[in-house]
Amino acid sequence: MISLHDVTKTYETPAGKFAALRSIDLEIQPGQFVGVVGKSGSGKSTLLNMVAGIDRPSSGMIAVAGTTIHQLPENKLAAWRGRNVGFVFQFFQLLPTLTAAENVTMPMDFSKTIPFRERRKRALALLERVGVGPHADKLPATLSGGEQQRVAIARALANDPPLVLADEPTGNLDSVTATAILDLFRDMANRGTTVVIATHEADIARVIDRRIEIADGAIRP
Amino acid sequence: MSTLWRKAFRDFWRERARTVLVVLAIALGISAFAAVLSSYAILTRELDSDYLATNPASAVIRLDSIDDDLVKAILQNPEVSDAEPRRTIRGQIWSGQLQRNLVLFVVHDYGNIRVSKLLPQQGAWPPSLGEILIERDAFQVAKAKIGDAVTVKTANGVAQPLVVSGSVHDVGQAQARMENIVYGYINVATLVQLGEEPKFDELNILVAQNRFDESHIRRVVSDVEALIETRGHEVRRIDIPQPGKHPHSDLTGSLLLSMSSFGLFVLVLSGIIVINLLTAMMAAQVRQIGVMKAIGGTRRQIAGIYFGQALFLGIAAVVISLPLGIIGSRALCRYMAVFLNFDINSFAVPLWVYLLVALVGIAAPLIAAAYPVWRGTATPVRVALSNFGVGQTTFGASRFDRALTRMGSWSSSAVFSIRNSFRRRARLVLTVLTLAAAGLFFLSALNIRASLIHTFDRMFAAKRVELTRSLTKPEEIEKVDKSLTNSRFAYDQHMIMIYVFLIVMSVIIGGVGGLGLMTTMSLNVLERRREMGVMRAIGATPKTILLMIVAEGVVIGLLSWTIAAVLAWPVSKALGDQLVRAMFRSGLDFTFEPLGLLIWMVVSISLSAAASFLPAWKASRVTVREALAYE
Repeated sequence: MISLHDVTKTYETPAGKFAALRSIDLEIQPGQFVGVVGKSGSGKSTLLNMVAGIDRPSSGMIAVAGTTIHQLPENKLAAWRGRNVGFVFQFFQLLPTLTAAENVTMPMDFSKTIPFRERRKRALALLERVGVGPHADKLPATLSGGEQQRVAIARALANDPPLVLADEPTGNLDSVTATAILDLFRDMANRGTTVVIATHEADIARVIDRRIEIADGAIRP
Repeated sequence: MSTLWRKAFRDFWRERARTVLVVLAIALGISAFAAVLSSYAILTRELDSDYLATNPASAVIRLDSIDDDLVKAILQNPEVSDAEPRRTIRGQIWSGQLQRNLVLFVVHDYGNIRVSKLLPQQGAWPPSLGEILIERDAFQVAKAKIGDAVTVKTANGVAQPLVVSGSVHDVGQAQARMENIVYGYINVATLVQLGEEPKFDELNILVAQNRFDESHIRRVVSDVEALIETRGHEVRRIDIPQPGKHPHSDLTGSLLLSMSSFGLFVLVLSGIIVINLLTAMMAAQVRQIGVMKAIGGTRRQIAGIYFGQALFLGIAAVVISLPLGIIGSRALCRYMAVFLNFDINSFAVPLWVYLLVALVGIAAPLIAAAYPVWRGTATPVRVALSNFGVGQTTFGASRFDRALTRMGSWSSSAVFSIRNSFRRRARLVLTVLTLAAAGLFFLSALNIRASLIHTFDRMFAAKRVELTRSLTKPEEIEKVDKSLTNSRFAYDQHMIMIYVFLIVMSVIIGGVGGLGLMTTMSLNVLERRREMGVMRAIGATPKTILLMIVAEGVVIGLLSWTIAAVLAWPVSKALGDQLVRAMFRSGLDFTFEPLGLLIWMVVSISLSAAASFLPAWKASRVTVREALAYE
C-alpha cells in the first residue's frame, strides 16, 4: 500500500538547513493499522505529509496505492488525494461555514466519484457510523471537540479511500473521547482500510497492528 | 447545490456587513455607469427623434432675395421635395431696462410651415401684427413673460414696441440660455413695422430622397444653386447640417460617452475594494484552503469557490444598481433635456444597455478577484496548513517600518495608530489611491474653475482693448462692454456643466472611497482582533481602542489628501489645458485654488473618521475573552 525508498526532507530555515526526514525506507501493507510514534519535532507529521502528497521529498521515492506520487503535479496530486487518502487533523479543521453533513459531502463534491443525489445520504450514513448522526445539520462551532473529530473522521471516509492518515487525532481530546476515537480507527482497519496515525502518545499499543518509532527524522530499528 | 457553492455563500453571509459594504461600493460604480450609459442611449435617440419630427431642412441657402417664381422653379426639380422662404435678422430686445441680443425669424406662412417646423407652446399662434413669439428657452434670457411689452430694434430698423403673445419651441436652435440670446418669431407685417424691407433671403430646402445622404444633398443643392444663379440671384452662403442629426447630438453624445468613461473609472475604483476584500478573505482562509486541498480539492475547484463569491458580488451589485441607474438616468435626462431644450417622449432604455451594464458589472469583480484568488490558492498545502492567521512578520522587516519606529517621543496610542496604518501596505496603497482620486477630481474642479475664470478675464480684457482702441464716445464703449458682458455670460454658462460634472464625480468617487476605507478598516480590525484583546487585557479602555482605530483611518485620509494635493497641480493643469485648447484654441492661465486644499482636508478627515467609526465601535465592544480567543 505504502512504499518509501530513501526519502529525505530538508527545510531551509533562517538558522540553516534542517533535516526533517533522513533516508526513510518504509513499507506498509494494505489493511494495516500503523502507529507512528515519536516526540514533538521528531518528523512524524512530515512523514505523514509525504505519504499524503501534502509535502514533497527533497530526494527519494514515494509510492502509495500504486501511484508514484512524488512525481505528480499539484492539481493531479489533489485529485489523487481526494480519491485515495482520507486525512484527519489534530485540530479537526472543519470548514466553519458548512454543517457537519456538508463538511462530509465536500470531498465527494471535489472528487465526483459518487453521484450527486447519493452524496448527502452517504454523508449521513458516515456520520451515523461515527456516532454523530443527530448532529448532521449543525455547524462545527456548536459541536464539542470529540464530536468535531468524529465529523472529521467521517469526512476522511467520504470517498471510501483505501488509506486514512491521522496526524495527532487525539491530541486535542480528553482521554475518554480519545479512546473512542481510536476505536473508530480500529474499526476502520478491521474493515480493510489502511490506517496510519502519527501520535506522541504511547498508549495506542492496544489498538494498532504495527508501531513505527521515529526520532530526529529517522526510523528507529 | 454543491457544498462548494454553499461555502461561497455562507462565507459571505458570515461577513455580511463587509459584503454589503463591498456590494454597495460596486453598485455605486455600476449605477454611475448605468445612469450615464442609459442617458446616452435615451438622449441621443430622443434628441434626434425630436429634431426629425420638425422635418429639418436638408440645406439652408442664403441669397439676396426670394420671390414666389423662384420657389416654384426650384420645386420643379423632382429631387427637391420642399422649399420654404424665411428671413433671419439680428437685433436687440429690451424688456424693461434689460437689453439682450435678439435673433428674429420671419416666417412666410405660419399656417403652413412644412420644413424646420416650430412647435407652438403657449399663447397666440400665429403672431399678429405688433406681436412677437419667443422661443421657450429664451424667456429666461429675455426676463419677459407672455403679455409683456418689449422693445425691439433690428440692425437697419427703428425701435418699436411689440407684445410678447406666445411661446414656441424651435428644436433645431442652439440653447438660448447657453448662447445668452433671445430668439423671436414675427410675421412679415411686423417686419415692416420694425422698418425692414418685407423680403425673404433664406431658403430652407428639403430633398425628396436619401435625406440622410450628405453627398446626395450636396449634389441636389448644387443643382438648386445653379438654378438660382441662372435666374439672376446671388447665392451668399449655403449651410448643410449633418443629415438627421440635431446640431448638438454629437456634442451631447461625446459628452455623455466621456461621462460613461468616468463611470467606468468609478467601477475600477470599486474593483479595488473587491481586491482588498478578497485578498483579506484569502489570507484569513489560507488554512481552510490547505484543508480543502488536503481532502482532494484542486486549485481550480477551490478558486471556483472564491470566483463564485466575486460572481455573487457582481450579480448583487447589478441587481441593486440597475434600478438606481435608471432613476439616475431619468434625472440626468430631465436635466439635460431642459439644458438642451428638447422634450423626451420615452425614457425606454434599450436592451443593449441592460446587457452591457450586466456584463461590465459582473465582469468587474471577477477581474478584480483574479489576482488575489490566483495567488491565494497557490499556497502549497503544507504551508497553508501551518498558517497561523495574521503573520507576525508583516511589520518591521523593511527599512520604512524601522524608520517609523523612530517616532518614539509621541504618545504610544498615536504611534500605534500610525504604524498600524502601514501594516498592510498593498491594501493601504489601494485604499489611499481611491480616496486620492476623489480628492483629485474635487481639487481639479475648483482649480479648473478658477483657471477658466482667470483665462476668460484675460481673454475678454484683451478683446475689450482691441474693440475699444479706436472708440472715443462713452456710449460706443458702453455698447462694447454690454456685448462683451453678454458673451462672457454665455462662456460661463457653457462651463457650468463641466464644474458640476467634476464635483458630482468627486462626490461619487468619495462615496466609493469612503466605503473602501470602511472595508479596509473593518478588515484591519478583524485581523488584529487578538492584539486588541491584548491591549484591553493590559488596560486599554473601549474608548481608547475606538479612538486608536479612528485615528488610523484619519492617517489614511491624510495620506490620500497629501497625494491629491501633490498631484492636483499637474493633473488639473493638464485637464484644463486640454479643455481650453479643445474649446477655444487658446492657452489656460492656470490658477491654483488654495481654499480647495483646506476644504478637501476637512472633507478627507471627516470622511475617514466617519468611515472608520463603525468598525472602531464594533471592535471596542468585543470582550477581552472573545478577542483573545480569536484565531
